[in-house]
Amino acid sequence: MKTGWRQHVYHAVLWLVALIFFAPVLWIVLSSFKTADQILAVPPKLIFRPTFANYVRLFSGQGFLHQLFNSFFLSISAVLIAVAVSFLAAFSFSRFRPAGTNFLMFLLLSIRMLPGSAAILPVYLMYVGFGWKDSYYGMILFYAMFSIPFSVWILKGFIDGVSPRFDETGVVNGASWLRIIFRTILPQVMPGVIAASIFNFIFVWNEFLFDYIIGGIRTSNIPVALSTGLYSNGGVDWTFISALTTTYILPPILAVYFFQRYLLVGMTFGTVRGEV
Amino acid sequence: MSGDVRTFAPVTSPPAALAARRPGSFTRFLGRRDVMPTLLLMPVLIFFIVWNVIPTLWLLGLGFYRFSLTSGRPPRWTGLYNYTSIINDAGVWADLSRTFVFVILAVGIETLLGMALGLLFWNSQRLPGRRVALTMLFAPMVLTPVASGTFWRLIYDPVFGVLNSIIRAFGFQAVSFLQEASTAFGAVLAVDIWMWTPFMVLMTLAALASVPKAELEAAEIDRLPWHQRLRLVVLYHGKFILMLGILLRTIDAFKTMDLIYDMTYGGPGSTTQLVAMTLYRRAFEAFNMGWSSALAVILLLISIAFTATFIFVLHWRERRAEAA
Repeated sequence: MKTGWRQHVYHAVLWLVALIFFAPVLWIVLSSFKTADQILAVPPKLIFRPTFANYVRLFSGQGFLHQLFNSFFLSISAVLIAVAVSFLAAFSFSRFRPAGTNFLMFLLLSIRMLPGSAAILPVYLMYVGFGWKDSYYGMILFYAMFSIPFSVWILKGFIDGVSPRFDETGVVNGASWLRIIFRTILPQVMPGVIAASIFNFIFVWNEFLFDYIIGGIRTSNIPVALSTGLYSNGGVDWTFISALTTTYILPPILAVYFFQRYLLVGMTFGTVRGEV
Repeated sequence: MSGDVRTFAPVTSPPAALAARRPGSFTRFLGRRDVMPTLLLMPVLIFFIVWNVIPTLWLLGLGFYRFSLTSGRPPRWTGLYNYTSIINDAGVWADLSRTFVFVILAVGIETLLGMALGLLFWNSQRLPGRRVALTMLFAPMVLTPVASGTFWRLIYDPVFGVLNSIIRAFGFQAVSFLQEASTAFGAVLAVDIWMWTPFMVLMTLAALASVPKAELEAAEIDRLPWHQRLRLVVLYHGKFILMLGILLRTIDAFKTMDLIYDMTYGGPGSTTQLVAMTLYRRAFEAFNMGWSSALAVILLLISIAFTATFIFVLHWRERRAEAA
């Protein structure tokens, strides 16, 4: 048994490891409170008078607010559609096991395993053909499609865990299927619904390539703006960029903090469950 | 005190419920055994057909044509020409082998480091501020890759980067990590390792949690040496979850694109050009759609092979659980 100072040393080491992994992020957060001179100072300054000018500049820019809105709008609507649709499908897969269930589940997963540029290529041709490029519905529906495999996999795992006796009891008592699905099963798989929503949100929030290729000026989100250098006038404006990144990575970090219980389920398509 | 007990739904006795409900024809239609499953699946099937089946068929077909968006000429049938030209393209082979080297190095190092750190965090239940510490540890894998790429570019910067300040403080020459052919691959690899080692830590912790407590205690009582304890008890039970983790990471590393796009754009030369980036450049810079479709089909086959392995491992455990 570890007691006293050994335990303290052990805990100090754990914190050190966590801090090492977080250090690059901390560096950017620090940078976002610096002035241009401080950020480019050699050697770098650790102690300085923080300035909020970068954030003021960030939030007064029209382009930024529009792209931030896009990021939120695209992720939230895509997730809502995907989770709703996937829940129904997962119920069907889990309970009725229609012919070809395994094959469909397999195909769904392999879409998610495809390199992004290969997945987007045919969709790009299709969108150009139909004139859906740079439209909100086109983007939202595509992101919803891309979130479906993950949601179906997670939710099927959770529904499999609910005993079919609940359905049978419902049927015997004269409840309709819709009532059984939404009043009996749904409350019991809420953790699955939450996990699917959170991780799809993070996925769409972080997504860059698809938006860049099938989106346009109207629908581009922050990652697109960031990587295509929309914010650099001539040289790279590091103060602006660091304020932007700090703002943008806040939601995923908060999600990990508040939904840590779902991290494992979310990162493994629901194939591994439990808490860490 | 009975407390505030809530039931899910008001329960009426069966006869009353049946009498109250006079099913309309639509309800009867829904009640048929074969209708409901299909109806529930319908939305996903529509999504699947419109956004997957049709585009994939398009892709398969286009692979047999010469079709460039910039030339303005209609697609021309060339049979297997695109495929043979890919197979004979030394550049593609170089990019593919570079990708596999990247995957093997990244996944290998992440797995070893992740397992070591996971074992370190095994007894962390009583760590003060554990939730914050774990958030900090797991943060890299959920951060926007483009954002990570951007700020690593600042850290790696030869003049202003903090890394070079440290190097200079030790009296060495500054290195422009991302601009030099000898260091760019390693620099990108290091960022990938930073991003994804936490994932392997997570999987290791999950694997450790799946080891029955009783067997660990038995091993402790038997005074098994640590390496035997690891091999016979921990790995025996945890290997399945670890394997899923390694597979997921392999698939993901194979797709690496955002990071490369943002940090080096495949350069300098083609030292960091992974195959996803190759496809991107041929499709969306050169707009050589026929050739790119053929390459996409090849990548699709590779991903299907990966997915099949993943599913096989998944079912292998179920079969073993049933046999036991």
